Amino acid sequence: MTVGRHAALIAVATIFMAPFFFVFMTAVMTDQQAVTPSFWPRPFQWDNFAEVFRRTPLVRFAWNTTQIAVLSTMGILLSCIPVAYALSRIRWRGRQAAFVLVLSTLMLPIQVTIVPLYLIWVRLGQIGHFTPLILPSFLGDAFSIFLLRQFFLTIPEELSDAARVDGASEFQIMTRVIVPLAKPAIAAVALFNFLYNWNDLFAPLLFLGTNEELWTLTIAMSEFTQRHGTEWNLTMAASVLFILPVIILFFLAQRVFVEGVTLTGVKG
Amino acid sequence: MGIAAGAGVIRRRPRRRNLKRGLTILLFMSPWIAGFCFLILYPMLSSLYFSFTKYALLSAPEWIGLENYRLLFTRDPFFWLAIRNTVWIIAVGVPLRIAFAIFTAWLLTRPQRGSRVYRTLYFLPSMAPPAAAALAFVVVFNPRFGPVNQILGAFGVDEPPLWFYGPGSSKWGLVLLALWGVGDAMIIFLAGLLNVPRQLYEAADIEGASGWQKFRHITLPMISPVIFFSLLIGVIYGFQLFTQAYVVALAVSGSSVADAAQGLGTPQGSMLFFSVYLFEQGFLSFRMGYASALAWVLFFIAMVCTLALIKGSRRWVHYQGGGFR
Amino acid sequence: MMKRWLAVAAIFALVATACTAGSEDPGPEPEPPSTTGEQEPVTLEMWGAWTGRELDQFNQIFEGFTEQYPWITVRSRGGVGDQKIITAINSGEPPDVVLSFVLDNIGQFCSSGAWQDLTPYMERDGFDLSQFPAAALQYTSFGGSQCALPFLTDAYGLYYNVDMFEEAGITEPPTTLSELADVAKQLTVFGPDGSIERAGIVMATGYYETTVLTMGSMFGVEWYSEDGTQSAIDDDPAWTAFFEWQKEFIADVYGEGDFQTGADRLERFVAGQGDEFSTANDFQEGRVAMNLDGEWRTAFIADEAPDLNYATAPFPVPDDRADQYGMGQIGGTIIGIPQGSDNPEEAWLLLQYMATDTDTLVYMANNVRNVPTTVAALESPDLDVTPQFQTFLDIFQHPGSHYKQHSAIGSADQTTLADFAARWQAGTATDLEAGLQQVAQQIDDQLAQAA
Repeated sequence: MTVGRHAALIAVATIFMAPFFFVFMTAVMTDQQAVTPSFWPRPFQWDNFAEVFRRTPLVRFAWNTTQIAVLSTMGILLSCIPVAYALSRIRWRGRQAAFVLVLSTLMLPIQVTIVPLYLIWVRLGQIGHFTPLILPSFLGDAFSIFLLRQFFLTIPEELSDAARVDGASEFQIMTRVIVPLAKPAIAAVALFNFLYNWNDLFAPLLFLGTNEELWTLTIAMSEFTQRHGTEWNLTMAASVLFILPVIILFFLAQRVFVEGVTLTGVKG
Repeated sequence: MGIAAGAGVIRRRPRRRNLKRGLTILLFMSPWIAGFCFLILYPMLSSLYFSFTKYALLSAPEWIGLENYRLLFTRDPFFWLAIRNTVWIIAVGVPLRIAFAIFTAWLLTRPQRGSRVYRTLYFLPSMAPPAAAALAFVVVFNPRFGPVNQILGAFGVDEPPLWFYGPGSSKWGLVLLALWGVGDAMIIFLAGLLNVPRQLYEAADIEGASGWQKFRHITLPMISPVIFFSLLIGVIYGFQLFTQAYVVALAVSGSSVADAAQGLGTPQGSMLFFSVYLFEQGFLSFRMGYASALAWVLFFIAMVCTLALIKGSRRWVHYQGGGFR
Repeated sequence: MMKRWLAVAAIFALVATACTAGSEDPGPEPEPPSTTGEQEPVTLEMWGAWTGRELDQFNQIFEGFTEQYPWITVRSRGGVGDQKIITAINSGEPPDVVLSFVLDNIGQFCSSGAWQDLTPYMERDGFDLSQFPAAALQYTSFGGSQCALPFLTDAYGLYYNVDMFEEAGITEPPTTLSELADVAKQLTVFGPDGSIERAGIVMATGYYETTVLTMGSMFGVEWYSEDGTQSAIDDDPAWTAFFEWQKEFIADVYGEGDFQTGADRLERFVAGQGDEFSTANDFQEGRVAMNLDGEWRTAFIADEAPDLNYATAPFPVPDDRADQYGMGQIGGTIIGIPQGSDNPEEAWLLLQYMATDTDTLVYMANNVRNVPTTVAALESPDLDVTPQFQTFLDIFQHPGSHYKQHSAIGSADQTTLADFAARWQAGTATDLEAGLQQVAQQIDDQLAQAA
């Protein structure tokens, strides 16, 4: 292990961590100091975190965000596993074409569909409710389907064939054979979707913006940067509180994350 | 499994079983099919319709035929600006990000003490919510107060870049933001690098190949599927770049009463990307019909680029198992 | 083949009918409620843009309203921007009364009927419009529809640092632009490397309240033709005069005669500006000697920099418009009744109260530090006036003060021009005539679509 390589490792790690450090430092500064060039808070205003809680009902927003993220993730799993199964574990004509179609929807910019989608929800009277954020998860998601399919393809065909000969239905094969073997991939999909929903700003803002009871953490954070004063210190404090659960989640589930991300890329 | 039983399965194929199979497939695919019709096809057709109308959101849409498209292509300098900005950020950002991902992944390939810690640290930034990360970078890269320019100043740099406040440097700020979040791409390349068979390198060492030659003739071809995947995803999402550009432009243009007139895409339109322009036209300027036309042009361009990329990939992407997908 | 086209056509038809969310029905037939006797209790939903401390102060005013109309309760929600208002109107469930800080959307609100035309109510009840200065009525109406009433306003003028003036021996604030240039030159301090350490005054966009709107209004620019169908940016010589003046000003004050030098230095200075609403505000910190700002700044200074020795005056006017001195840009908060409100009659009562009750307006002016919008409130002895604040009251009542002409494209006209202005003042765009023509053409294209 060359010295040069070691040095590079540390240098890169420092660069990656530096913004976190500055954000955290700013988060405990006074409002005055936050807009000055100084690096080191004088004094350490730990109360900023409490202030963020005082200003906004963070607990309620965190609960809202959690509900959306958990329900969406459940929906994704319930809907994407069967689809991925059909695209990988059952042989049928047109399977390849269907897969290409699924993949092509990834290329669709959200701006193409967002307004009509929004109007649909208006007509169904669901603006200001969780529905527009949760229901679509039960209707599949191209990226998750892609990832699951790739992994399902690596499970040997013989296992499925053996089960078929034993008289199992596809449903039984899926639930008794494939799903248990695909736990890492499924966990990875669950985590990715949870993370995505936790971080999403655009959709919650659009659909929940009018109903403050149901706001998510991201909406609350964006409200800190409003007219008459971005209080940078509070904004950064809110950011820290916001990222914290995500970091904790990652530490607990690091291995699954890494394996999950690996699965998308390697097999092409 | 006896041969007789196997032969029995092949020969019979009753219609009922075929039908059952078909229904099963349909059932399993049904969530996605429903989603496709409801969430994709119908809105797509709707937005196509809107693109032929003028639609202010507060009143009903009114048919105007190809007028939006005509204006877009012939009389809208912002359209071309948005395309230039978007193409620039993709052409510069995506390759740089991939190169940096390969580099950082390579740093992590040798097992060493604390490698899991390093891996976590490198991956962490990519998990920060995009809006928060963008705001953090605005603070860190503030030309007067931010640590970056302070450090540059300490090293004797007279006029450090204005970063997000200067038209020539603002996109570079975004590129740096993207590089900071390279973690997710890096992990994929890490797996790809670890997948390269050791024997190939050993054989090359015997032949006396240099580090660079090994990289160019072994590593690169072996990880080319990963490069292709990252390129594809990078281009697709690059066309849709919105959150970071939006958040940064708002933060930089000032929050005042007069914020309407500062506009998105400051400074000097350098951060006016396609989806930012689209958002502004549709949701802020009461031009939803025009925005829909913009969206379709975006879709079309993205499709063309993606297909070109896929076609071109046959030439340089090398699959270990042979064959695509 | 034919069947498929029919199917597609059916989808389009479905979509088309689906999208008449929102409004082609005419306004309601106004019927006055009886103000005496038994009343059904009514709760009004009021959405506004105030936040934080200002919101708390704002919410106090509804007590007085409920005293006068005991059967009406007002539920007030703050932090609501125009986007949410538009969304709510579209979704068919708007509040009863809305308050907005964004004047520019009035064009669209009035012309589409999203905010109801108040004329029928006003005529029926004999509402006296002369309570308001003419300028206030101008910016609350569009295309013949008075779809909003003013509720406090802003006025922009010149803030200057008296200590710096005295140090340089300047006794009077500048009243014309050439005087402004002289004073600015005297007060600008350059560092050893040529960069600007202290600026006299920043006359470039991207800096606090200095925008094409505020700067242009000093030149008396016209944004549109008389009938409002065409952009006047390429026609009105005042625009050319403004942009050319700006270039000379930057060259003179910051570039020692060379425009590009001045522009580069100014760009760097502007990039280092302190956050407008923080204590690092450039004027409050003394980083800039004079500033174009709104009347609310007096409250911020009193709160955050009470030792700052400053004064205010109307903003200098071009030399050839010296007779207009005393004018300034005005325009502020507006209130209205959205289409689809459940209780329009009660909402109208609230609107009248907010817009004309002198005590309410004086209370808001004293606490939030905006300019009150009725003649009565302006002359009220209860108005807490400092000499610095008085300037803005005078500016608001000056006959030359106004907001720009509205249009149905919201603030898109300003955004389009601001983009050119940013490039012009940086030296990136050099052909003024061509630039203005293109801006005008873009605005015309958008206008044609918004009608």
